[in-house]
Amino acid sequence: MRWTKLLAIVAAVLVVATTGWAQPAKVKVGFIYVGPIGDYGWTNAHDVARKKLERAFPGQVETMYVESVPEGNAEPFIDKLVRGGANVVFTTSFGFMDGTLAAAKRHPAVIFAHASGFKRNDNMATYMADFYQIYYLNGLMAGALTKTNRIAYVGAFPIPEVKRHMGAFALGVRAVNPRATVHVRWLFSWFDPAKAKEATEALLAERADVFAFTEDSPTVIQVSAQKNRASFSHYSPMQRFAPRHVISGQLVHWDRIYVDFIGKVLKGTYSNQNLENVDYWWLLAEKAVELGGQFGQPINPVFAGQLKAARVRTREFGTISVYDLVNRRLAQMTRKPVAFDPFTGPIRDRKGVLRVPAGHTMTIGELNSMEWAAPGIVGQWPKEPK
Amino acid sequence: MEVITWLLESSLAGILVRGLAYGTPLLWGSLGEIYAERAGVVNLGVEGMMILGAFSGFATAHVTGNPVAGLCAAGLIGALAALLHAFFSITLRANQYVSGLALSMFGLGLSGLLGRGWEGIPLERPLPEVTILAPLGFALAVVLWVVLYHTRWGIILRTTGEAPAAADALGINVILVRYVAVVFGGLLAGIAGGFLSVAYRPSWTEGMTSGIGWIVVALAIFASWDPLKAIWTSLLFGVLFHLSFRLQTWIPAEPLQMMPFAFTIIVLTATARRSGRVRQAAPEALGLPYVRGER
Repeated sequence: MRWTKLLAIVAAVLVVATTGWAQPAKVKVGFIYVGPIGDYGWTNAHDVARKKLERAFPGQVETMYVESVPEGNAEPFIDKLVRGGANVVFTTSFGFMDGTLAAAKRHPAVIFAHASGFKRNDNMATYMADFYQIYYLNGLMAGALTKTNRIAYVGAFPIPEVKRHMGAFALGVRAVNPRATVHVRWLFSWFDPAKAKEATEALLAERADVFAFTEDSPTVIQVSAQKNRASFSHYSPMQRFAPRHVISGQLVHWDRIYVDFIGKVLKGTYSNQNLENVDYWWLLAEKAVELGGQFGQPINPVFAGQLKAARVRTREFGTISVYDLVNRRLAQMTRKPVAFDPFTGPIRDRKGVLRVPAGHTMTIGELNSMEWAAPGIVGQWPKEPK
Repeated sequence: MEVITWLLESSLAGILVRGLAYGTPLLWGSLGEIYAERAGVVNLGVEGMMILGAFSGFATAHVTGNPVAGLCAAGLIGALAALLHAFFSITLRANQYVSGLALSMFGLGLSGLLGRGWEGIPLERPLPEVTILAPLGFALAVVLWVVLYHTRWGIILRTTGEAPAAADALGINVILVRYVAVVFGGLLAGIAGGFLSVAYRPSWTEGMTSGIGWIVVALAIFASWDPLKAIWTSLLFGVLFHLSFRLQTWIPAEPLQMMPFAFTIIVLTATARRSGRVRQAAPEALGLPYVRGER
């Protein structure tokens, strides 16, 4: 049976050749999703990006995905994708972090990238498209548009990511309206329309008149719109669900990161050896995120008149309208080098403790572990530092 | 005008109104579950029947422009879904818990699949939140209580759930009674789901019942299978659910989240003890498939 031996050698050489040196001419990319692809937020946005990735490299990239994977139990699903031939695996939720790392060590020939986490390996990178700059811009508009000086924020979980977004939002509010307060309600759920509804009703009863939120359904927008209150869209283009009430919002382009990453894998820039320090933290300047309640429209024209009429004195630009201020700040953060960051000191928290010294801009690490509450925030704040 | 609405909404009446709104689907759902369980059939598929009702109710209301038609469709679909559970658990004598769980998953999956493309569309003509289904639900609870305790039908239903063998010996068609009770339960669960999508929200979102069906199953037990008590349990739960967001300014959110459950249990235990009426709470044959000649 000499030919079987020969075949084995040839196969072994082939395996070494493909995993060892040769940059792949074709990659198979697997995605692990935390929710159903039909949700109106996070997972849907990743899936839209997956399709764009396929279109960006016709014939070179093949994708597959598993949806509704429970956090903390991603490994069997990752193994399944690897068995199915995936060379690159994206895991798209914070809770997949440890599972991804374990899988990365088990499959050293496969490239991994984990969204929103901080653990990396030779063959595992991290990536995130963050909204904090956009929340600041939303806050500027909210501060100008509120009549009751009470702004509502329905939050999912009191974790650093959500606190950072609320903080940026409140800093924006206070930059144009020092008397306004941001009233917070926590849902302890990423998706729960009934809780979002009652939280909105509770905030309506407290006379809040502008609504922002972190929850994966358009509930807050629609419930507040029924009472003729304005709101910001979250994650997906939700403006069409309340076209006369959505002021603006936050939109994501995960495809910007996926296309860049896979492009570098195809070129051979990224391999299973050199991802230890690859961390995408992409913002407005990288065009990974966008201001607006629908793509291509940063501010709903319905609110343009009111925002142009609201004037505010700033140190940098003198007295200008809030409409112009939003556009100036947007321009400053879109162009590289970025000329403005909402988290540049001096910033004190709501208790008066100096959190960001003058001249310092918060680092990615500080942003990822931020627990303090910005001035103007009213409500429970679990783990608030003393 | 603004001041008046604010006064209304921030007063005790406002809190009651919110409790009524969230309590309505709980009441309709638990009335249905109470009847099914009174006949001896546990239906853990409430979540699935509700979500199917929510989707079909929204779709019908959106296409026809008539929210009442939406509710009818929701009830019909809920009843059809319950028929599945009835077939598996009564005719095929499958494990009721397994069959119900399967129905819940089936309902969530199917409605999610069909609902793609309907997501988030606001309903042009929604049903008022508290003025229709809440009072109707109260009336229904009273009627169901009278039927259960003061009519021949009620005796037949209760006997089927307590002692199916005895009922059979008396010439009662156990299978038929159970079918009717389960399908009736599905009808009410479907309407409860329809309420969520044509009155409470009013729009469709995948998975929008988000656990309300499971609360309904718990409330049927909390109410000790009594339709009148279901009024209080759902209203109490609704008020507490809303309060858990109203009170967040002063009280940490985590204990508030379990308050509706904890408080409802405490109140019911207290009232049950005080009323002093000795009644075996759970139907004796609950969860047991009926096989003629076996005990």
